[in-house]
Amino acid sequence: MKAKLVHDQVSRGTANPAHENHDVISHAPFRSPKNHSNGSVILSAHQIYKAYQAGSQQVPVLTGVSLQVRQGQFTTIVGQSGSGKSTLLHLLGTLDRPDKGEIVMNKQRIDNLPARQRDRIRNQDIGLIFQFYHLLPELNVLENTLVPYMIHYGVWNYLLQRRRLHDRAKELLEQVGLSHRLTHRPNQLSGGERQRTAIARALITQPKLLLADEPTGNLDARSGNEVLELLRQLSEHQALTVIMVTHDERIAQQSDQIIRLRDGKVVASTAEAA
Amino acid sequence: MFKLLLTWRYLKTRFIALASIISVTLGVATLIVVNSVMSGFSNEMTSKLHGILSDVELVASGMGEIDRVDEKVEQIKSLLQDDLEAVTTVVRVPAMLNFLVHGQPRYHQIMLIGIDDQTFGDVTDFRPYLTNHFHRNGDVFRLMELGYDKELPDAGWPYRREKFRHDAYIRQELESMLQDRAKGLPPIAQNQLPVPHSPSATTDSNQEPLVNIAKLPPLPTQKPVLPTLSSDVPAGAGSEYLSDCGPSLNPSESNTWNPAPVDALAAYRERVLVAPFDPITEQRVGIIIGIGIGRLRAHDPTTGTSQNMYFIRPGDDIELTIPSAGNQPRPLLENCTVVDFYSSKMHDYDSAFAFMPLSHLQKMRGMIDPATGGATVSAIQIKLKPEANLNSARDRLRAAFPMMQYPLMVQTWRDQQAPLLSAVEMEITILNILLFMIIAVAGFGILATFFMIVVEKTKDIGILKSLGAPSSGVMSIFLGYGLSLGIVGAGAGTLIGVMFVVYINEIAALISMISGREVFDPSIYFFSSIPTLLDPMMVVAVAGGAMLIAILSSVLPALRAARLAPVEALRYE
Ligand SMILES: Nc1ncnc2c1ncn2[C@@H]1O[C@H](COP(=O)(O)OP(=O)(O)OP(=O)(O)O)[C@@H](O)[C@H]1O
Ligand SMILES: [Mg+2]
Repeated sequence: MKAKLVHDQVSRGTANPAHENHDVISHAPFRSPKNHSNGSVILSAHQIYKAYQAGSQQVPVLTGVSLQVRQGQFTTIVGQSGSGKSTLLHLLGTLDRPDKGEIVMNKQRIDNLPARQRDRIRNQDIGLIFQFYHLLPELNVLENTLVPYMIHYGVWNYLLQRRRLHDRAKELLEQVGLSHRLTHRPNQLSGGERQRTAIARALITQPKLLLADEPTGNLDARSGNEVLELLRQLSEHQALTVIMVTHDERIAQQSDQIIRLRDGKVVASTAEAA
Repeated sequence: MFKLLLTWRYLKTRFIALASIISVTLGVATLIVVNSVMSGFSNEMTSKLHGILSDVELVASGMGEIDRVDEKVEQIKSLLQDDLEAVTTVVRVPAMLNFLVHGQPRYHQIMLIGIDDQTFGDVTDFRPYLTNHFHRNGDVFRLMELGYDKELPDAGWPYRREKFRHDAYIRQELESMLQDRAKGLPPIAQNQLPVPHSPSATTDSNQEPLVNIAKLPPLPTQKPVLPTLSSDVPAGAGSEYLSDCGPSLNPSESNTWNPAPVDALAAYRERVLVAPFDPITEQRVGIIIGIGIGRLRAHDPTTGTSQNMYFIRPGDDIELTIPSAGNQPRPLLENCTVVDFYSSKMHDYDSAFAFMPLSHLQKMRGMIDPATGGATVSAIQIKLKPEANLNSARDRLRAAFPMMQYPLMVQTWRDQQAPLLSAVEMEITILNILLFMIIAVAGFGILATFFMIVVEKTKDIGILKSLGAPSSGVMSIFLGYGLSLGIVGAGAGTLIGVMFVVYINEIAALISMISGREVFDPSIYFFSSIPTLLDPMMVVAVAGGAMLIAILSSVLPALRAARLAPVEALRYE
């Protein structure tokens, strides 16, 4: 049911990406903020502290960050370079643990879970997208997309469901406009195509939460717009919650909630204002 | 699932994987070959050593002899009972062989062993090493008509008959010439003398009559004696002839043409008449000599090939000088007929041993007590049943023949060959240490390679972890990688190593053919071909060890990969 929904809506959006995206995104806001204040809180952070050890010195990066993200919200994190945006995103995505504070996801505290459970959450419930795509160079587009499934299922289970999983991956790749690139290696793809592969990979296990760290940072305007349009449609037409780090104030303005970081603290959150 | 796929992809796309596999392959193959050849050599050598020696030996301490032999043999039999396979007695005495090569006297120092040909073959591997196959089961001290090695076409009775007929003919020619001279004819120039031709190109002992012409005692004028004279002078026994004729025949006399004193002539005539010995139909006492004594192996460095030259053949007579028994040994001379060669392919033995009948040697050396008729021996040799314990048998014998009471030493073949065996053992130990170090080098090579791969794959590890791959899964990628390298490398290495060992002699021959130089020269080594011993346990251990090393050396990098924090890995650009 859910997959079908994504399919319909995403493919509508990308049916004519070259024309539509260019026009829409360069001249009109890519989305308008919505009020999700009555939606349930899917992810929240309470007084997070994180410091890095640089030699003998402690470098505090986050000093008491709290935030709330509601179901279906499109949240952006902005701040100067080095303000700890990526660090915060990694903590939210269970890639790292905070020194202090709590992260709660679906009413369950996740920052202190054992490694195996955090691995599972990352595999099933959270999709991650990075500025540098982070695809596996030895695998082609289709295989890269299937990696989360390969991790999830054992050899036997995977082979048993091979057809179904491959069909799902192909469907998803078609939605992101890559059905003609299935057997290409990452180094044979353009930046935009790589990022779209990464998005397909992040979505293949149908996570509730998508974390994106400057997904357009390495792309030219047009490819960047394609990627943003994709994310917009995903959040708009599906119950997908997106948290995106960006440097682009214009994009941030159109999101449902903006979290501004400075000196390790949230200086402003526009969530309730909207 | 991702583990399998990634392991496979990493293997497929990394050149470094191939390099690791090759290093494991080479290591395994080398180890198998070296181990097989080493254990082949030592096994062959010890079994040869063991075969030639008896299991246990009772030897007279010092140069003394063992008396009351029968009594002792009975005692041994009742002591060892079921452990005993066979027992024999031997006399060992250093001796000298003299024979002529190209007319020049040649002396060869040997160890003469008097053996009881009934029992000696049961105690040691003696008969299989004889070249005449009739001797392998029969009277070993008889010269045979047939049955000699194909490499020796001129051997045995046919050779002896031809040789001595030829000598007899020459002697007759000489006699008639000398008679002519005695009648006042002009002296013959040296080059007009009949030149004997050799029955075989490599045997030159029958040129000897030429040299000895001048040394011959003047011929008596009486006709009847003459025919026997010619037939009685055996080739290669000129010196014996001299010694028989007493001190009156010194070289200066014989060079000038002076009639010999009458008593020498009389002694000579008496010998001829009393003991008419016909070398064409009779043999002297048989002797078996090591093949290295009668053969010269000429190695041609330019062609890299070896050729055998024989200066003694079965059928020739040689002279033996041995010390008599007793406190003041005198040299004894004895003429013997070479009846066969002893060819154990152990150079040390083949060039030093000669065998003759025990009873004859005892008689000659005066080892028989005239009062009792009992003879002494140098050693009592014992062969045990295969399942018997060597050392316990030795200890029981030592207890039965205490050193205080009997001037006897009881030794096993291992005791006797202890210096050589321990040298071989030490060699193997040192070699194993060196090989182990080679393996360690290969292991560290794999370790370094894997670390490189992990460092190279740091980002991928981060990606996998960010997608929820557990640490154990990431670790098993690299462990699987190491295991695959180990399996493929060890498998290929085992195959190559075993093939090499199986075809080692063919490979050596091929290399000889290509390089034109003998890789394995049997005259240098103990063996006729490169001995190998392929122990399945060793092969399994080597292959398993290599796999273990491949896995062990991938454990550290794999652990590192597993511990890698995903954030750190992703930061890695
Ligand atoms: N492993 C680390 N060791 C030491 N310091 C670190 C480490 N990781 C991050 N930092 C520091 O933490 C701070 C925040 O880094 P972070 O990557 O979160 O910044 P950012 O806001 O994402 O910057 P950018 O916009 O450039 O991506 C930086 O000052 C950085 O130097
Ligand atoms: Mg960043």
